[in-house]
Amino acid sequence: MTTLIRANLPVLVVIAPLFVAFILPPLARRIRLVEALALLGAVLGLGGAGYLASIVLTQQENPFIYQLGGWPAPWGIELVAGSLGVFFLLVVGVSVPVLLFAQGNLAAEVGGAERVTRFYVLYLLLVGAMAGMAVTNDMFNVYVLVEVATLSCCGLVSARRYPRAAEAAFTYLILATLGSALVLGGIGLIYLITGHLNMGFAAQELSRVWLARPHVVLMAVSLIVVGFGVKAALFPLHVWLPDAHSTAPSPASAILSGLAVKGYLICLVKFLYGVFGPTLLQEFAVHRILTLLGGVGIITGSILALTQEELKRRLAYSTVAQVGYLILGFGLLNVTGLAGALFYLASHAVIKATLFLAAGAMLAATGKRNVRDLAGVGRKMPITMAAFTIGSLGLIGLPLFSGFIGKWYLLLGSWEAGLILPAVAILAGSVLCAAYLLPVIRAAYFAPAPEEDWPDPGRPQKLALLLLAAAVVILGVRPGPFLELAQKAAAELLAFY
Amino acid sequence: MSGLLTKVLINYPYLVAVLLFTIGTFTVLTHPNLFKKLLGINIMESAIFLMFVASGNIRGGVAPIRGTTNAEAVYINPLPSALMLTGIVVSVSVTAFALALIMRLYKAYGTTDLRRIAARRKEVISDDHLDQG
Repeated sequence: MTTLIRANLPVLVVIAPLFVAFILPPLARRIRLVEALALLGAVLGLGGAGYLASIVLTQQENPFIYQLGGWPAPWGIELVAGSLGVFFLLVVGVSVPVLLFAQGNLAAEVGGAERVTRFYVLYLLLVGAMAGMAVTNDMFNVYVLVEVATLSCCGLVSARRYPRAAEAAFTYLILATLGSALVLGGIGLIYLITGHLNMGFAAQELSRVWLARPHVVLMAVSLIVVGFGVKAALFPLHVWLPDAHSTAPSPASAILSGLAVKGYLICLVKFLYGVFGPTLLQEFAVHRILTLLGGVGIITGSILALTQEELKRRLAYSTVAQVGYLILGFGLLNVTGLAGALFYLASHAVIKATLFLAAGAMLAATGKRNVRDLAGVGRKMPITMAAFTIGSLGLIGLPLFSGFIGKWYLLLGSWEAGLILPAVAILAGSVLCAAYLLPVIRAAYFAPAPEEDWPDPGRPQKLALLLLAAAVVILGVRPGPFLELAQKAAAELLAFY
Repeated sequence: MSGLLTKVLINYPYLVAVLLFTIGTFTVLTHPNLFKKLLGINIMESAIFLMFVASGNIRGGVAPIRGTTNAEAVYINPLPSALMLTGIVVSVSVTAFALALIMRLYKAYGTTDLRRIAARRKEVISDDHLDQG
């Protein structure tokens, strides 16, 4: 039994959440059971990811290659759990505390008990698609997973029957479909000139044929960068994000900002480094464009966040800025920078989940959306605000918090690449981040508290917030295996450069 | 120049795909009507499907079914068509979901025009009974 599980591990981590998602609808009337099963599905996924990580980290098998249906690589679909895949599978584990937060109070959040099950189904589909993106090594498979993730994201955004949410979901759906059509076009062009859908084989063939067909390759790169850029809210293409992420129910905001955006970025990394390869990126100056867009995204996203009154919108714009850091890191084209970007991706997943959940708990308890009205909330809801503070300090990038290590490696990476401006953008982003998050904390603790009674949320919510806040600190103090995985993944991606 | 022209004419499915893609993208980005936006998305996706299917086609090729044709027959590549079957399924589900959202928006705002929705947003936002429906 254990050998069977071990042999099929890469597909099991994807199947487990999907399977649970599909058995939930008939059980809709028994909400307790649905909640327990949903949590079980996510925990199974995380457990499998942990096991897989231990196998890959101890070099028993690295990468762990799995052939779906037993068909070998150029014909069948291949799942590869290398350092990058395992790393992102562990990041997908953020879905567990977010699900824990949803326990018990989701009905109020989505406006009706009958919608709770639908929410969990979409949530688990998203988690399954994210796990799939981590391990897949087939380009068309990436497209299918991207579409599954997009549709479930849009479903999550429109979970409340709130006209504003439907509007945000529609905009998101249209732009995201535009993005996936572009990605599919890019995949089609790669298939046209290489004849392969498997990333490894396509990369080999591409390195041979690209000189004969440079224009097709250029088209394919641009389609894929722009396509995933729309989906991951890369700066000028971010217009859908603030509405979608701020109108969604709080657990959905946390998972959308924390995880969903990252899945597309991981796919982008796989295409950029796994299919095109660093040499081609340099040939077409794609890395410069990425660094530029990332830097501009950091500054603009932060300034836009600074101007937002509504707390959840401020956090949503902050996500645009943080995506800028990751894209900037992808464009530095050295191991330090890429490892920093990957670690920052994990760190931001945890931090943004903490911040959105804390903001959601405050919104649920006080009914106040705006930062200004939340004065004194720190004394009424100590645990929620403590988690929010830890998350904020992490996002700003103070030492001992997880954001610091990511930013530090990004800075070292831009130093190595001999670029000053990205380093300036990274530091300016930190200062701006402090400017838009610290006033929230200051008002929460030092302003006089109002008369009303604002209680901390229930026990599962508190536990979820504490788990996430602890993760922010642990990743900052002892990044150990996580940083090692990120560095290994970066080294493998840039191996032939 | 005539060489380029013949190349373009021989590969006309790709030219049509590019045209359709442009029309679709343009419609999505410029039309304020929600239905038109959805139509644009569908046209755009059809363009991609056409490109894929055309890439598998060989003029004079036959369907790759063994045993029914003579030995010298050239088989077309069935893989892109099979992939696009999946693509069409995805496109149908996106369309269904978008139509459901349009219905919800129409119920809330009484219009499918984005400009009018923006104008009416202020009136509807406090309308909490819609949240229960």
